[in-house]
Amino acid sequence: MRECLAQAMRMITKLSRSGMAVLALGVILSGCAANEAPVVSDSPVATNTNTNTAPALQGTLVGGGASSQTAAQEAWRAGFQTTYSAVTVDYDPTGSGTGRSSFSSGGFAFAGTDDAFSVEEAAGAFAGCSAGTGLVEIPVYISPIAVAFNLPDVPTLNLDPATIAKIFAGKIKSWDDKAIAAANPGVKLPNTAITAVHRSDKSGTTGNFTDYLAETASAEWTWGAVEQWPEKLAGEAADKTQGVREAITSAAGAIGYLDASQAADLGTVAIKVGSDYVQHSAEGAAAAVAASKLETGRAATDIVFDLDRKQTTSKAYPLVLVSYLVACGQYQDANTAELVRTYFEHAVSTAGQQAAANQAGSAPLNSELTSLVSDAISKIK
Amino acid sequence: MPPPVANVLKSRADADEWRNLINDRPRGLDRRRRITNKVALGAITAAFCLAIAPLVSVLWTVVSAGLNRIDVEFFTQSMRGVIGEGGGALHAIMGTIQITLAAAVISVPVGILAAVYLVEYGRGAFARTLTLLVDVMTGIPSIVAGLFAFALFSLAFGPGVRAGVAGAVALSLLMTPVVIRSAEEMLRLVPTELREASQALGAPKYRTITDVVLPTAASGITAGVMLGISRIVGETAPLLLVAGFTDSMNYNLFSGRMASLPVFIYSQWQNKGVDAAAYDDRAWSAALTLIAFVFVLNLASRMANRFLGAKAR
Repeated sequence: MRECLAQAMRMITKLSRSGMAVLALGVILSGCAANEAPVVSDSPVATNTNTNTAPALQGTLVGGGASSQTAAQEAWRAGFQTTYSAVTVDYDPTGSGTGRSSFSSGGFAFAGTDDAFSVEEAAGAFAGCSAGTGLVEIPVYISPIAVAFNLPDVPTLNLDPATIAKIFAGKIKSWDDKAIAAANPGVKLPNTAITAVHRSDKSGTTGNFTDYLAETASAEWTWGAVEQWPEKLAGEAADKTQGVREAITSAAGAIGYLDASQAADLGTVAIKVGSDYVQHSAEGAAAAVAASKLETGRAATDIVFDLDRKQTTSKAYPLVLVSYLVACGQYQDANTAELVRTYFEHAVSTAGQQAAANQAGSAPLNSELTSLVSDAISKIK
Repeated sequence: MPPPVANVLKSRADADEWRNLINDRPRGLDRRRRITNKVALGAITAAFCLAIAPLVSVLWTVVSAGLNRIDVEFFTQSMRGVIGEGGGALHAIMGTIQITLAAAVISVPVGILAAVYLVEYGRGAFARTLTLLVDVMTGIPSIVAGLFAFALFSLAFGPGVRAGVAGAVALSLLMTPVVIRSAEEMLRLVPTELREASQALGAPKYRTITDVVLPTAASGITAGVMLGISRIVGETAPLLLVAGFTDSMNYNLFSGRMASLPVFIYSQWQNKGVDAAAYDDRAWSAALTLIAFVFVLNLASRMANRFLGAKAR
């Protein structure tokens, strides 16, 4: 009898102890996140008393697409969600191709893409938009694409477009090849085999890179400007920007192309522009875009660059990526339209562009482009 | 009762016989047996070490890399508005708990009732088909479950729909067969005599099941449920597909994206900003949290086993 009682007591103590732990855990976890303002859904005005000018925006905005924009989007979302605490913005870095198709099918309210919709595609039907209202496409993110490589003790290499094309086409197989050595006097090149890394997914970065090769080295690069890497070419395939980075970092002798913001600790190629070799930089990218013209034959809200890859502007870096944000001309849902418009305005604002430059090393839009883009954004309804 | 060995050996004749037996044993055979024993023991130990090595290595890596960000901030903040360093995984932890509980709420009743049917009622072709289907379901790749939930919710709510409950539906597809199988085993272990005794006392079959069979098997069933939860809590693919990921808290299972720990790990690794180390640290810490989560679940399952087992006796 006494034994039984003791056992019961022990059981109760054990239970209450574990119960207490569960309770404590519950208290810790049930609270709102310390960095988030509590959302007061029934009185939205209360959440932004400190920003008198801002209208009471509410809701969730979901977009996605170009993985090159990831870092910039993070900066924009952080700034935007601080101003509008009742709004949640999500960005899925699924790649430009998926981003555009999800936007077409209505899965995303807006898309980020490194390659704009073609004129025919833009005239088509979009599930989330009112029929026949057209698209708003604006450049928001100008960033150099770095050709990065992994060779111990070699921080930079000079290469001309033809040599880069040959490397990625698998015609140059070793780092001590004559073509590479000729452009890099004094650099001790190992006889390591070259592993050319490319994107396995349909990618805007690939589109811009192959466009550059097709324009500047048409004799060596015969596959044209394509978003999907040509199947016939050998080399290592890697998923998204991060996969390419990982592949280059992990194998000596690897070379690949990726958004310059992700190439910080890798060796990068100075590409030949005119008679000079130019390293990637935000300023060089901005100069290359400034010297390019807008595509003609598009609507006023459809601002797309026809990048001049062959230019020889001093200090310009024409291997540049211009990434766009895409929205409907008119949304079926008025609140979504409001959210998209305000979010886009934030992205192209001076603060937004500066935040992106700090976070992702992109080149801020110049004032001329900003006013053009702002006009287009104001047409979203 | 047989006499103790000492008594047997007391008689001189017996002792002689034993000695003869031992001495007559061929020496070669004895040695061969000893060598075989040593070799087998060595092989088993080596296999054990081989099996345990990756486990220890993974655990060591996760713990040493994950401890960097196990701090208060990690458990009290979400990733909303965080650039680079700082931030936490509270939104993912809450999401994992909610989605897992919702999946359990769907799977446990279905699983236990199905098991009761199979053990107590099911006869013939239908029961055999059901058993076969459950076996097939155990082998479903998780991404297929995710695709099922994605198709289901897309058809109902349009493309691009993401919700915690869709993730729960996908996970319940993976959890249900585990619950059925383990509950079935446990119910079969309940002695037939108990059922017969209950029915002999005049209890109808349903009372026998609810008052005798289920309580007897309760501890085993609970362990099975915990096993099922451990099975699904680390699933990434279906949640990535249908629950999506977000930086913000979301307590509403039925609307909007909901983060979860596995998806948090994936997105932190995949979508690094410029300060890559901060993202890696968060991913490791989330991995450690997830492992700790599963560990606690296993402990809870053992405790439930002991507690409920005692009650049933």
